[in-house]
Amino acid sequence: MTVREFALRVLQLDRRFIFVLMSLVTLLPLLYPLGLPVRVSPEAYNIYDTLEHLPERSVLLVSLDFDPASKPELYPMAVSLLRHAFARNLRVVTLTLWPAGTSMAESAVIQFAEEAGKKDGTDYVFLGYGPGEANAIISMGQSLTDAFPTDYAGRKTDTLPVLAGVRSLRDIDYAISLSAGFPGLDTWYVYGKEKYGFELGGGCTAVSAPKFYPFLQTGQINGLLGGLRGAAEYETLLNQAGKATAGMDAQSATHFLIIGLIVVCNVCSVLSGRRRGRL
Amino acid sequence: MLFWQRTVPLLITFVFGLALALQYYVPHPASESFLQEVSLWNQIIAGFAIVLGVGSLLSNHYLKIKRQEAGWGYSAVLFVSLFTVFGAGLWAEGKAAGTFFGWLYEYVLVALQGTMFSLLAFFVASAAYRAFRARTLEATVLLSAAVLVMAGRVPLGEYVLPGVGYISDWIMNVPNTAAQRGILIGVSLGGIATSIKIIFGIERAYLGGSHNDGA
Repeated sequence: MTVREFALRVLQLDRRFIFVLMSLVTLLPLLYPLGLPVRVSPEAYNIYDTLEHLPERSVLLVSLDFDPASKPELYPMAVSLLRHAFARNLRVVTLTLWPAGTSMAESAVIQFAEEAGKKDGTDYVFLGYGPGEANAIISMGQSLTDAFPTDYAGRKTDTLPVLAGVRSLRDIDYAISLSAGFPGLDTWYVYGKEKYGFELGGGCTAVSAPKFYPFLQTGQINGLLGGLRGAAEYETLLNQAGKATAGMDAQSATHFLIIGLIVVCNVCSVLSGRRRGRL
Repeated sequence: MLFWQRTVPLLITFVFGLALALQYYVPHPASESFLQEVSLWNQIIAGFAIVLGVGSLLSNHYLKIKRQEAGWGYSAVLFVSLFTVFGAGLWAEGKAAGTFFGWLYEYVLVALQGTMFSLLAFFVASAAYRAFRARTLEATVLLSAAVLVMAGRVPLGEYVLPGVGYISDWIMNVPNTAAQRGILIGVSLGGIATSIKIIFGIERAYLGGSHNDGA
């Protein structure tokens, strides 16, 4: 077999072989973690720092704008942020703009509030699903109790101690949207922050992180957690290694597998004399 | 008929489009109250839109089952799934904790959506192998940037190639931001132009097929 023939055979590799390789490099690091340290980026640190400097009983709004499809990336962010907020004794107001995320958001909020010994309605509240996408944000900007007359448990929001003094988004000290798409972080800064003037940070899936960098530079968002890496960075800052940190080894291996595949296919492409690729 | 089907919707679009564009610059309480009212109306209309959407979906799939078109079995699955979840949701009064509705959410929806999303990794790997070739200078630059960002975004990359993390940060903060900003400005200008065309009745596609003749 000549070098050219070999290269051609490698280029025609059965995709099932790649699928098996991908399965192995995802599974093995989860079973045998390397535990490599995660470097914290300035954009992740800014969110941590903002929460650290909020006075006790400040109001933090967390909008869990994702559904189960993005759970592996965004749920660990929600866990770390909620743990941090409860540890800092902030008042935590949570909601979702995604109907399919409601149950997941509710269980996360309740689980980590109970873990921190917080009282529902006094220290935190889950408002539920806000219908109407951007309109839900505008309504909250005008009047939070009009937008959500009751919370998810059916209690009147204007009587809840956690919302004492919070009439609209203007009274929120810091808001964070964990976003898997639309409506999400961009909806919050266009319809929320720009008009009602609260500080905004965000988390997003790795694939959508690049589009938020212009907003970081202009200060329209003051921090960003990008994908599983962002969640792992926040876990590092809290010194509480969780699912994101564990997942970083698998992500390292899969990234290197893809890099390896790209190198192999390009080398073989040159050796074979084939310059045109196909999907 | 033309008056109700074309003139009235165009008039409503013109009045509300212009009023809401101007409202942004008028912080008077009356203006804020108008915005609040319109937002609540929008939320209510969005609720009805879900009913319309579900109705349209069911009617489409009902026809597929009735005509026994190719893949009609999937339409039957849709009917069963939709009514099972809808019934379970009503029975549980929308509450997930400790209910069958919650069980469906946790063990069916979460698992299915997670599986669909994770399949992407396999297809991305396969596609990268077959398509990501350095055939031109532009493709080589794109490929190099992708490799550096992929390596720089994971701890193993920073361990094996010290400094690659900072290169990755630079790519994200400088060339990526510049390109994203260009795209964003272009999209925004396009959005403004389209909005103006809709407000002034130049773009009428939203009125439906038979009304496009005047556009």
